[in-house]
Amino acid sequence: MSIQPYNEDQRDALQEITNIAMGQAGSSLAQLLDVFVILSVPRVRIVGVEDVPDAVAEMVDDPEEVTAVRQAFYNKLRGETMVIFGRKGCADLADLMGHEEVQNSEDEEELLLDVTNILVGAVLNGLGEQIEVEFGFSPPAIMAMNTPIEKVLISDQLGWSHALLIEVNFSLEERGFKCYLIMLMPEESIDMMRQSLDHILESF
Amino acid sequence: MADGLDPLSFLRFIVDRVNVGIIVVDREMEVLLWNHFMAVNSGKEAHEIIGTNLFQSFPDLPEKWLKKKINSVFILKNFAFTGWEQRPYLFQFRHNRPVTGSTDYMMQNCTFLPIMGENNDVQAVCITVFDVTDISIYQNQLKDAMAKLEDMSIRDGLTEIYNRRYIESQLAAEYDRCHRYGGELSVILFDLDHFKNVNDTFGHLAGDEVLRSVSKKLVEVLRTSDIPGRYGGEEFTVILPNTAIEGALNTAERIRSEVEKLEIVHDGRGIPVTVSIGVTQMRDSTPSHEAMLQEADLALYQCKEGGRNQARAFDPAEHPDLDSEQ
Repeated sequence: MSIQPYNEDQRDALQEITNIAMGQAGSSLAQLLDVFVILSVPRVRIVGVEDVPDAVAEMVDDPEEVTAVRQAFYNKLRGETMVIFGRKGCADLADLMGHEEVQNSEDEEELLLDVTNILVGAVLNGLGEQIEVEFGFSPPAIMAMNTPIEKVLISDQLGWSHALLIEVNFSLEERGFKCYLIMLMPEESIDMMRQSLDHILESF
Repeated sequence: MADGLDPLSFLRFIVDRVNVGIIVVDREMEVLLWNHFMAVNSGKEAHEIIGTNLFQSFPDLPEKWLKKKINSVFILKNFAFTGWEQRPYLFQFRHNRPVTGSTDYMMQNCTFLPIMGENNDVQAVCITVFDVTDISIYQNQLKDAMAKLEDMSIRDGLTEIYNRRYIESQLAAEYDRCHRYGGELSVILFDLDHFKNVNDTFGHLAGDEVLRSVSKKLVEVLRTSDIPGRYGGEEFTVILPNTAIEGALNTAERIRSEVEKLEIVHDGRGIPVTVSIGVTQMRDSTPSHEAMLQEADLALYQCKEGGRNQARAFDPAEHPDLDSEQ
Protein backbone atom coordinates (compact mmCIF):
# COMPACT_ATOMS: atom_id res chain seq x y z
CA MET A 1 0.00 0.00 0.00
CA SER A 2 1.48 3.32 -1.03
CA ILE A 3 1.14 6.27 1.27
CA GLN A 4 0.79 9.85 0.26
CA PRO A 5 3.31 11.78 2.35
CA TYR A 6 2.29 14.91 4.22
CA ASN A 7 2.98 18.18 2.42
CA GLU A 8 5.16 20.84 3.96
CA ASP A 9 2.30 22.72 5.64
CA GLN A 10 0.90 19.52 7.09
CA ARG A 11 4.31 18.49 8.38
CA ASP A 12 4.83 21.88 10.00
CA ALA A 13 1.40 21.80 11.59
CA LEU A 14 1.96 18.27 12.91
CA GLN A 15 5.34 19.21 14.35
CA GLU A 16 3.78 22.28 15.95
CA ILE A 17 0.88 20.46 17.59
CA THR A 18 3.13 17.68 18.88
CA ASN A 19 5.47 20.35 20.30
CA ILE A 20 2.54 21.96 22.11
CA ALA A 21 1.26 18.56 23.25
CA MET A 22 4.65 17.66 24.75
CA GLY A 23 4.82 21.02 26.50
CA GLN A 24 1.47 20.35 28.13
CA ALA A 25 2.43 16.79 28.94
CA GLY A 26 5.68 17.94 30.52
CA SER A 27 4.01 20.49 32.74
CA SER A 28 1.29 18.15 33.96
CA LEU A 29 3.86 15.39 34.65
CA ALA A 30 5.96 17.90 36.59
CA GLN A 31 2.89 18.85 38.57
CA LEU A 32 2.10 15.21 39.31
CA LEU A 33 5.64 14.05 40.13
CA ASP A 34 6.80 17.30 41.68
CA VAL A 35 10.14 17.19 39.87
CA PHE A 36 11.53 18.92 36.80
CA VAL A 37 10.63 16.89 33.73
CA ILE A 38 12.24 17.12 30.31
CA LEU A 39 10.43 15.94 27.21
CA SER A 40 12.49 16.26 24.04
CA VAL A 41 11.20 17.96 20.91
CA PRO A 42 9.28 15.13 19.29
CA ARG A 43 10.54 13.64 16.07
CA VAL A 44 7.64 13.03 13.72
CA ARG A 45 7.78 11.07 10.47
CA ILE A 46 6.14 8.41 8.34
CA VAL A 47 8.12 5.18 8.25
CA GLY A 48 7.90 1.87 6.42
CA VAL A 49 7.42 -1.18 8.62
CA GLU A 50 10.91 -2.45 7.80
CA ASP A 51 12.44 0.73 9.24
CA VAL A 52 10.72 0.57 12.59
CA PRO A 53 13.09 -1.77 14.45
CA ASP A 54 16.10 0.30 13.38
CA ALA A 55 14.36 3.54 14.25
CA VAL A 56 13.68 2.22 17.73
CA ALA A 57 17.19 0.81 18.12
CA GLU A 58 18.64 4.23 17.23
CA MET A 59 16.89 5.82 20.16
CA VAL A 60 18.20 3.64 22.92
CA ASP A 61 21.66 3.66 24.48
CA ASP A 62 21.93 -0.05 24.99
CA PRO A 63 19.96 -2.04 22.40
CA GLU A 64 21.05 -5.33 24.00
CA GLU A 65 18.81 -5.11 27.02
CA VAL A 66 15.63 -3.13 26.90
CA THR A 67 12.37 -3.39 28.74
CA ALA A 68 9.32 -2.38 26.75
CA VAL A 69 5.75 -1.70 27.80
CA ARG A 70 2.97 -1.19 25.27
CA GLN A 71 -0.36 0.54 25.56
CA ALA A 72 -2.98 0.99 22.88
CA PHE A 73 -5.09 4.08 22.33
CA TYR A 74 -8.17 4.37 20.19
CA ASN A 75 -10.78 6.66 18.79
CA LYS A 76 -10.86 7.94 15.21
CA LEU A 77 -7.06 7.82 15.49
CA ARG A 78 -5.74 4.55 16.78
CA GLY A 79 -2.36 3.13 17.44
CA GLU A 80 0.01 1.89 20.04
CA THR A 81 2.59 3.52 22.19
CA MET A 82 5.65 1.82 23.49
CA VAL A 83 7.73 3.07 26.35
CA ILE A 84 11.23 1.67 26.29
CA PHE A 85 13.32 1.54 29.44
CA GLY A 86 17.00 0.80 29.80
CA ARG A 87 18.73 -1.81 31.89
CA LYS A 88 17.79 -0.16 35.17
CA GLY A 89 14.08 -0.01 34.35
CA CYS A 90 12.43 2.67 36.44
CA ALA A 91 13.04 1.48 39.99
CA ASP A 92 14.56 4.92 40.72
CA LEU A 93 11.13 6.48 40.29
CA ALA A 94 9.33 4.31 42.87
CA ASP A 95 9.00 7.07 45.49
CA LEU A 96 7.74 9.60 42.95
CA MET A 97 4.98 7.20 41.96
CA GLY A 98 3.94 6.57 45.56
CA HIS A 99 5.30 3.02 45.41
CA GLU A 100 7.05 1.37 48.30
CA GLU A 101 10.54 0.07 47.61
CA VAL A 102 10.65 -2.38 44.73
CA GLN A 103 11.11 -5.82 46.28
CA ASN A 104 10.05 -8.37 43.72
CA SER A 105 9.24 -8.71 40.05
CA GLU A 106 5.54 -7.90 40.58
CA ASP A 107 6.49 -4.57 42.19
CA GLU A 108 8.88 -3.86 39.35
CA GLU A 109 6.25 -4.69 36.73
CA GLU A 110 3.58 -2.59 38.37
CA LEU A 111 5.92 0.37 38.56
CA LEU A 112 6.79 -0.02 34.87
CA LEU A 113 3.08 -0.17 34.03
CA ASP A 114 2.28 2.85 36.19
CA VAL A 115 5.09 4.98 34.73
CA THR A 116 4.09 3.98 31.21
CA ASN A 117 0.46 4.78 31.89
CA ILE A 118 1.12 8.33 33.09
CA LEU A 119 3.59 9.07 30.29
CA VAL A 120 1.27 7.77 27.63
CA GLY A 121 -1.76 9.42 29.22
CA ALA A 122 -0.01 12.79 29.44
CA VAL A 123 1.36 12.71 25.92
CA LEU A 124 -1.79 11.38 24.24
CA ASN A 125 -4.14 13.68 26.07
CA GLY A 126 -1.89 16.60 25.14
CA LEU A 127 -2.11 15.50 21.51
CA GLY A 128 -5.83 14.76 21.77
CA GLU A 129 -6.57 18.27 22.98
CA GLN A 130 -4.81 19.74 19.95
CA ILE A 131 -6.74 17.68 17.45
CA GLU A 132 -9.92 17.50 19.50
CA VAL A 133 -10.00 13.76 20.04
CA GLU A 134 -10.68 12.07 23.36
CA PHE A 135 -8.72 8.85 23.35
CA GLY A 136 -9.66 5.63 25.04
CA PHE A 137 -6.84 3.51 26.44
CA SER A 138 -6.21 -0.16 26.95
CA PRO A 139 -4.38 -1.21 30.11
CA PRO A 140 -0.61 -1.16 29.61
CA ALA A 141 1.11 -4.52 29.21
CA ILE A 142 4.71 -5.67 29.43
CA MET A 143 6.10 -6.63 26.00
CA ALA A 144 9.58 -7.68 27.02
CA MET A 145 11.94 -7.46 29.96
CA ASN A 146 15.70 -7.17 29.44
CA THR A 147 15.54 -8.35 25.86
CA PRO A 148 17.61 -7.36 22.81
CA ILE A 149 15.72 -4.68 20.93
CA GLU A 150 15.57 -6.67 17.69
CA LYS A 151 13.50 -9.31 19.47
CA VAL A 152 11.00 -6.78 20.81
CA LEU A 153 9.75 -5.53 17.46
CA ILE A 154 9.89 -7.96 14.59
CA SER A 155 8.85 -6.18 11.42
CA ASP A 156 7.39 -9.18 9.60
CA GLN A 157 5.04 -9.79 12.51
CA LEU A 158 3.56 -6.31 12.28
CA GLY A 159 0.36 -6.20 10.26
CA TRP A 160 0.83 -2.93 8.39
CA SER A 161 3.25 -1.39 5.91
CA HIS A 162 3.50 2.27 6.92
CA ALA A 163 2.98 4.14 10.13
CA LEU A 164 3.19 7.59 11.55
CA LEU A 165 5.99 7.45 14.08
CA ILE A 166 6.34 9.98 16.87
CA GLU A 167 9.39 9.66 19.10
CA VAL A 168 10.02 11.50 22.35
CA ASN A 169 12.69 11.19 25.02
CA PHE A 170 11.58 11.62 28.58
CA SER A 171 14.12 12.39 31.28
CA LEU A 172 14.39 13.46 34.89
CA GLU A 173 17.81 15.02 35.13
CA GLU A 174 18.07 15.06 38.89
CA ARG A 175 17.38 11.31 38.91
CA GLY A 176 19.61 10.47 35.99
CA PHE A 177 16.56 8.76 34.53
CA LYS A 178 15.71 8.49 30.87
CA CYS A 179 13.23 6.52 28.82
CA TYR A 180 11.84 6.64 25.30
CA LEU A 181 8.33 6.86 24.12
CA ILE A 182 7.32 5.91 20.61
CA MET A 183 3.88 6.23 19.19
CA LEU A 184 2.92 4.31 16.07
CA MET A 185 -0.27 4.93 14.15
CA PRO A 186 -0.77 2.65 11.15
CA GLU A 187 -2.07 3.53 7.67
CA GLU A 188 -5.67 4.64 8.16
CA SER A 189 -4.67 6.91 11.01
CA ILE A 190 -2.15 8.68 8.76
CA ASP A 191 -5.07 9.85 6.62
CA MET A 192 -7.26 10.67 9.60
CA MET A 193 -4.43 12.79 10.96
CA ARG A 194 -4.12 14.49 7.57
CA GLN A 195 -7.76 15.55 7.78
CA SER A 196 -7.26 16.91 11.29
CA LEU A 197 -4.17 18.81 10.15
CA ASP A 198 -6.01 20.30 7.18
CA HIS A 199 -8.82 21.30 9.48
CA ILE A 200 -6.35 23.09 11.77
CA LEU A 201 -4.61 24.75 8.81
CA GLU A 202 -7.94 26.05 7.45
CA SER A 203 -8.78 27.67 10.74
CA PHE A 204 -5.70 29.91 10.61
CA MET B 1 -39.46 4.09 22.67
CA ALA B 2 -42.19 2.48 24.69
CA ASP B 3 -44.49 4.92 26.47
CA GLY B 4 -43.41 6.06 29.89
CA LEU B 5 -40.05 4.27 29.89
CA ASP B 6 -37.12 6.54 30.67
CA PRO B 7 -33.70 5.04 29.78
CA LEU B 8 -32.02 7.43 32.21
CA SER B 9 -33.84 5.76 35.07
CA PHE B 10 -32.44 2.41 33.86
CA LEU B 11 -28.93 3.80 34.01
CA ARG B 12 -29.22 4.32 37.72
CA PHE B 13 -30.37 0.77 38.20
CA ILE B 14 -27.71 -0.68 35.88
CA VAL B 15 -24.85 1.19 37.54
CA ASP B 16 -26.05 -0.08 40.88
CA ARG B 17 -26.70 -3.70 39.93
CA VAL B 18 -24.12 -4.46 37.24
CA ASN B 19 -21.74 -7.22 38.31
CA VAL B 20 -18.79 -4.84 38.57
CA GLY B 21 -17.74 -2.69 41.50
CA ILE B 22 -18.30 1.02 40.84
CA ILE B 23 -17.00 3.73 43.15
CA VAL B 24 -16.74 7.48 42.63
CA VAL B 25 -14.47 9.69 44.73
CA ASP B 26 -13.78 13.41 44.68
CA ARG B 27 -10.45 15.22 45.06
CA GLU B 28 -10.59 14.87 48.83
CA MET B 29 -11.06 11.10 48.46
CA GLU B 30 -14.60 11.38 49.75
CA VAL B 31 -16.83 8.61 48.40
CA LEU B 32 -19.67 9.88 46.21
CA LEU B 33 -20.97 6.60 44.81
CA TRP B 34 -20.82 3.01 46.10
CA ASN B 35 -22.75 0.47 44.08
CA HIS B 36 -24.44 -2.78 45.05
CA PHE B 37 -21.43 -4.96 44.09
CA MET B 38 -19.24 -2.98 46.48
CA ALA B 39 -21.85 -3.09 49.23
CA VAL B 40 -22.38 -6.85 48.97
CA ASN B 41 -18.70 -7.70 48.87
CA SER B 42 -17.49 -5.26 51.50
CA GLY B 43 -20.44 -5.75 53.81
CA LYS B 44 -20.82 -1.98 54.00
CA GLU B 45 -23.96 -0.39 52.58
CA ALA B 46 -23.86 2.71 50.42
CA HIS B 47 -25.40 4.87 53.15
CA GLU B 48 -22.58 3.86 55.52
CA ILE B 49 -19.82 4.71 53.06
CA ILE B 50 -21.03 7.64 50.98
CA GLY B 51 -19.74 10.90 52.42
CA THR B 52 -16.86 9.22 54.27
CA ASN B 53 -13.20 9.35 53.36
CA LEU B 54 -12.27 6.23 51.38
CA PHE B 55 -9.08 5.63 53.34
CA GLN B 56 -10.73 6.11 56.72
CA SER B 57 -13.44 3.62 55.86
CA PHE B 58 -10.90 1.17 54.39
CA PRO B 59 -7.66 1.61 56.33
CA ASP B 60 -6.17 -1.49 54.67
CA LEU B 61 -5.98 0.27 51.28
CA PRO B 62 -2.44 1.21 50.22
CA GLU B 63 -3.07 4.91 50.76
CA LYS B 64 0.12 6.54 49.54
CA TRP B 65 0.17 4.71 46.23
CA LEU B 66 -3.57 4.80 45.61
CA LYS B 67 -3.83 8.52 46.33
CA LYS B 68 -1.04 9.16 43.85
CA LYS B 69 -2.83 7.02 41.31
CA ILE B 70 -6.16 8.81 41.74
CA ASN B 71 -4.37 12.16 41.69
CA SER B 72 -2.73 11.25 38.40
CA VAL B 73 -6.20 10.91 36.90
CA PHE B 74 -7.25 14.31 38.23
CA ILE B 75 -4.10 15.99 36.90
CA LEU B 76 -3.47 14.15 33.64
CA LYS B 77 -7.14 13.53 32.79
CA ASN B 78 -6.11 10.06 31.74
CA PHE B 79 -7.17 6.52 32.48
CA ALA B 80 -5.26 4.45 34.99
CA PHE B 81 -5.26 0.73 35.62
CA THR B 82 -4.29 -1.97 38.06
CA GLY B 83 -3.93 -5.62 37.08
CA TRP B 84 -4.20 -8.72 39.27
CA GLU B 85 -0.93 -10.12 37.96
CA GLN B 86 1.00 -7.33 39.65
CA ARG B 87 -1.41 -6.37 42.42
CA PRO B 88 -3.85 -9.18 43.19
CA TYR B 89 -6.58 -6.89 44.57
CA LEU B 90 -7.42 -3.37 45.66
CA PHE B 91 -10.20 -4.30 48.08
CA GLN B 92 -9.77 -7.45 50.12
CA PHE B 93 -12.96 -9.33 49.27
CA ARG B 94 -13.71 -13.00 49.57
CA HIS B 95 -14.22 -14.57 46.18
CA ASN B 96 -17.22 -16.46 44.93
CA ARG B 97 -15.51 -19.81 44.58
CA PRO B 98 -15.50 -20.91 48.20
CA VAL B 99 -15.34 -24.54 47.09
CA THR B 100 -13.28 -24.63 43.91
CA GLY B 101 -11.11 -21.55 44.30
CA SER B 102 -7.44 -22.00 45.04
CA THR B 103 -6.70 -18.35 45.89
CA ASP B 104 -7.57 -16.61 49.13
CA TYR B 105 -9.24 -13.45 47.89
CA MET B 106 -11.09 -12.07 44.88
CA MET B 107 -8.59 -11.17 42.16
CA GLN B 108 -9.33 -7.75 40.71
CA ASN B 109 -8.56 -5.68 37.66
CA CYS B 110 -9.39 -2.03 38.25
CA THR B 111 -9.82 0.92 35.92
CA PHE B 112 -9.75 4.55 36.98
CA LEU B 113 -11.53 6.97 34.71
CA PRO B 114 -11.83 10.72 34.88
CA ILE B 115 -15.33 12.16 35.11
CA MET B 116 -15.06 15.35 33.09
CA GLY B 117 -16.85 18.56 34.01
CA GLU B 118 -18.04 21.33 31.72
CA ASN B 119 -14.79 23.28 31.91
CA ASN B 120 -12.78 20.31 30.68
CA ASP B 121 -11.47 19.63 34.14
CA VAL B 122 -11.87 16.45 36.15
CA GLN B 123 -14.71 16.61 38.68
CA ALA B 124 -14.34 13.17 40.16
CA VAL B 125 -12.73 9.81 39.51
CA CYS B 126 -14.66 6.62 38.91
CA ILE B 127 -13.04 3.32 39.93
CA THR B 128 -14.39 0.12 38.43
CA VAL B 129 -13.50 -3.17 40.09
CA PHE B 130 -13.70 -6.31 37.94
CA ASP B 131 -13.72 -9.74 39.56
CA VAL B 132 -11.12 -11.74 37.60
CA THR B 133 -10.72 -14.63 40.04
CA ASP B 134 -11.76 -17.19 37.41
CA ILE B 135 -9.32 -15.80 34.87
CA SER B 136 -6.51 -15.79 37.41
CA ILE B 137 -7.13 -19.42 38.31
CA TYR B 138 -7.13 -20.54 34.66
CA GLN B 139 -4.11 -18.41 33.90
CA ASN B 140 -2.16 -19.88 36.80
CA GLN B 141 -3.09 -23.41 35.73
CA LEU B 142 -1.95 -22.59 32.22
CA LYS B 143 1.30 -21.13 33.51
CA ASP B 144 2.01 -24.24 35.57
CA ALA B 145 1.27 -26.49 32.62
CA MET B 146 3.49 -24.43 30.33
CA ALA B 147 6.33 -24.49 32.84
CA LYS B 148 6.00 -28.28 33.13
CA LEU B 149 5.97 -28.69 29.36
CA GLU B 150 8.96 -26.45 28.95
CA ASP B 151 10.86 -28.37 31.58
CA MET B 152 9.97 -31.69 29.93
CA SER B 153 11.10 -30.44 26.56
CA ILE B 154 14.63 -29.71 27.78
CA ARG B 155 15.19 -32.83 29.86
CA ASP B 156 16.18 -36.37 29.09
CA GLY B 157 13.33 -38.69 30.06
CA LEU B 158 15.49 -41.45 31.58
CA THR B 159 18.02 -39.49 33.60
CA GLU B 160 16.12 -36.19 34.07
CA ILE B 161 19.26 -34.17 33.38
CA TYR B 162 19.20 -31.88 30.31
CA ASN B 163 18.86 -33.37 26.84
CA ARG B 164 21.19 -32.95 23.91
CA ARG B 165 19.21 -30.22 22.17
CA TYR B 166 19.17 -28.06 25.28
CA ILE B 167 22.86 -28.64 26.00
CA GLU B 168 23.77 -27.64 22.46
CA SER B 169 21.70 -24.47 22.58
CA GLN B 170 23.14 -23.52 25.97
CA LEU B 171 26.68 -24.19 24.78
CA ALA B 172 26.06 -22.04 21.71
CA ALA B 173 24.71 -19.23 23.90
CA GLU B 174 27.63 -19.44 26.35
CA TYR B 175 30.10 -19.51 23.46
CA ASP B 176 28.51 -16.38 21.95
CA ARG B 177 28.53 -14.63 25.28
CA CYS B 178 32.24 -15.32 25.87
CA HIS B 179 33.03 -14.41 22.28
CA ARG B 180 31.35 -11.06 22.74
CA TYR B 181 32.11 -10.10 26.30
CA GLY B 182 35.12 -12.27 27.18
CA GLY B 183 35.29 -14.70 30.08
CA GLU B 184 36.13 -18.35 30.49
CA LEU B 185 34.21 -21.39 29.34
CA SER B 186 35.02 -25.09 29.55
CA VAL B 187 33.28 -28.24 28.42
CA ILE B 188 33.46 -31.79 29.73
CA LEU B 189 32.50 -34.76 27.58
CA PHE B 190 32.57 -38.24 29.08
CA ASP B 191 31.27 -41.70 28.43
CA LEU B 192 30.88 -44.90 30.38
CA ASP B 193 33.65 -47.45 29.83
CA HIS B 194 32.52 -50.75 28.29
CA PHE B 195 28.86 -49.83 28.65
CA LYS B 196 27.93 -52.37 25.99
CA ASN B 197 29.21 -55.10 28.31
CA VAL B 198 26.92 -53.87 31.09
CA ASN B 199 23.91 -54.16 28.81
CA ASP B 200 24.99 -57.54 27.48
CA THR B 201 25.85 -59.01 30.89
CA PHE B 202 23.22 -57.49 33.16
CA GLY B 203 20.46 -56.54 30.69
CA HIS B 204 19.06 -53.20 29.54
CA LEU B 205 17.22 -52.49 32.77
CA ALA B 206 20.53 -52.64 34.59
CA GLY B 207 22.02 -50.37 31.92
CA ASP B 208 19.25 -47.84 32.54
CA GLU B 209 19.90 -48.08 36.27
CA VAL B 210 23.59 -47.30 35.68
CA LEU B 211 22.75 -44.27 33.53
CA ARG B 212 20.42 -42.95 36.24
CA SER B 213 22.92 -43.50 39.04
CA VAL B 214 25.74 -41.80 37.14
CA SER B 215 23.47 -38.83 36.33
CA LYS B 216 22.45 -38.50 39.95
CA LYS B 217 26.05 -38.58 41.12
CA LEU B 218 27.02 -36.09 38.39
CA VAL B 219 24.47 -33.56 39.62
CA GLU B 220 25.76 -33.97 43.20
CA VAL B 221 29.35 -33.32 42.16
CA LEU B 222 28.62 -30.17 40.09
CA ARG B 223 28.08 -26.56 41.11
CA THR B 224 24.63 -25.12 40.45
CA SER B 225 26.03 -22.95 37.65
CA ASP B 226 27.31 -26.02 35.74
CA ILE B 227 24.97 -27.45 33.12
CA PRO B 228 24.90 -31.26 32.89
CA GLY B 229 23.29 -33.15 30.05
CA ARG B 230 22.99 -36.57 28.48
CA TYR B 231 24.52 -36.17 25.07
CA GLY B 232 23.53 -39.53 23.64
CA GLY B 233 23.46 -43.24 24.66
CA GLU B 234 26.10 -43.42 27.39
CA GLU B 235 27.67 -40.06 26.60
CA PHE B 236 27.37 -37.06 28.93
CA THR B 237 28.33 -33.41 28.63
CA VAL B 238 28.84 -30.69 31.21
CA ILE B 239 29.06 -26.99 30.34
CA LEU B 240 31.17 -25.10 32.90
CA PRO B 241 30.64 -21.34 32.57
CA ASN B 242 33.28 -19.03 34.10
CA THR B 243 35.66 -21.96 34.46
CA ALA B 244 39.21 -22.36 33.12
CA ILE B 245 40.75 -25.68 32.15
CA GLU B 246 42.35 -26.30 35.59
CA GLY B 247 38.99 -26.02 37.35
CA ALA B 248 37.33 -28.12 34.67
CA LEU B 249 39.96 -30.85 35.06
CA ASN B 250 39.41 -30.84 38.83
CA THR B 251 35.69 -31.29 38.29
CA ALA B 252 36.38 -34.03 35.73
CA GLU B 253 38.62 -35.85 38.16
CA ARG B 254 35.94 -35.66 40.87
CA ILE B 255 33.37 -37.05 38.47
CA ARG B 256 35.74 -39.87 37.57
CA SER B 257 36.54 -40.83 41.17
CA GLU B 258 32.96 -40.48 42.44
CA VAL B 259 31.61 -42.65 39.61
CA GLU B 260 34.29 -45.27 40.29
CA LYS B 261 33.14 -45.38 43.94
CA LEU B 262 29.47 -45.91 42.99
CA GLU B 263 28.06 -49.18 44.23
CA ILE B 264 25.36 -50.14 41.80
CA VAL B 265 23.74 -53.44 42.58
CA HIS B 266 21.40 -55.21 40.19
CA ASP B 267 19.77 -58.56 41.03
CA GLY B 268 22.26 -59.00 43.84
CA ARG B 269 25.28 -58.47 41.61
CA GLY B 270 27.50 -55.39 41.78
CA ILE B 271 28.07 -53.53 38.50
CA PRO B 272 31.47 -51.85 38.24
CA VAL B 273 31.34 -48.49 36.40
CA THR B 274 34.13 -46.19 35.27
CA VAL B 275 34.21 -43.22 32.91
CA SER B 276 36.65 -41.66 30.46
CA ILE B 277 36.58 -37.89 30.33
CA GLY B 278 37.73 -35.30 27.80
CA VAL B 279 37.94 -31.64 28.78
CA THR B 280 38.57 -28.48 26.82
CA GLN B 281 38.52 -24.73 27.33
CA MET B 282 37.40 -22.10 24.84
CA ARG B 283 40.30 -20.09 23.38
CA ASP B 284 40.24 -16.90 21.30
CA SER B 285 40.96 -19.10 18.30
CA THR B 286 38.19 -21.63 19.01
CA PRO B 287 36.07 -21.29 15.87
CA SER B 288 32.71 -22.48 17.18
CA HIS B 289 30.90 -24.21 20.02
CA GLU B 290 30.80 -27.40 17.97
CA ALA B 291 34.62 -27.27 17.82
CA MET B 292 34.70 -27.41 21.62
CA LEU B 293 32.73 -30.65 21.61
CA GLN B 294 35.01 -32.01 18.92
CA GLU B 295 38.08 -31.14 21.01
CA ALA B 296 36.66 -32.71 24.15
CA ASP B 297 35.86 -35.80 22.07
CA LEU B 298 39.49 -36.02 20.90
CA ALA B 299 40.71 -35.85 24.50
CA LEU B 300 38.13 -38.48 25.43
CA TYR B 301 39.43 -40.72 22.64
CA GLN B 302 42.97 -40.39 24.07
CA CYS B 303 41.63 -41.55 27.46
CA LYS B 304 40.16 -44.63 25.81
CA GLU B 305 43.46 -45.31 24.05
CA GLY B 306 45.33 -44.74 27.31
CA GLY B 307 43.44 -47.41 29.23
CA ARG B 308 40.12 -45.73 30.27
CA ASN B 309 38.99 -44.57 33.74
CA GLN B 310 40.85 -41.27 33.38
CA ALA B 311 40.38 -37.58 32.54
CA ARG B 312 42.44 -35.59 30.06
CA ALA B 313 42.53 -32.05 28.78
CA PHE B 314 42.60 -31.34 25.07
CA ASP B 315 46.03 -30.05 24.03
CA PRO B 316 45.69 -27.46 21.25
CA ALA B 317 49.41 -27.75 20.43
CA GLU B 318 48.78 -31.28 19.18
CA HIS B 319 45.98 -30.12 16.87
CA PRO B 320 46.93 -26.74 15.36
CA ASP B 321 44.64 -27.53 12.41
CA LEU B 322 41.52 -27.15 14.61
CA ASP B 323 42.00 -23.45 15.32
CA SER B 324 40.42 -20.91 13.05
CA GLU B 325 42.77 -18.59 11.19
CA GLN B 326 42.93 -15.32 13.08
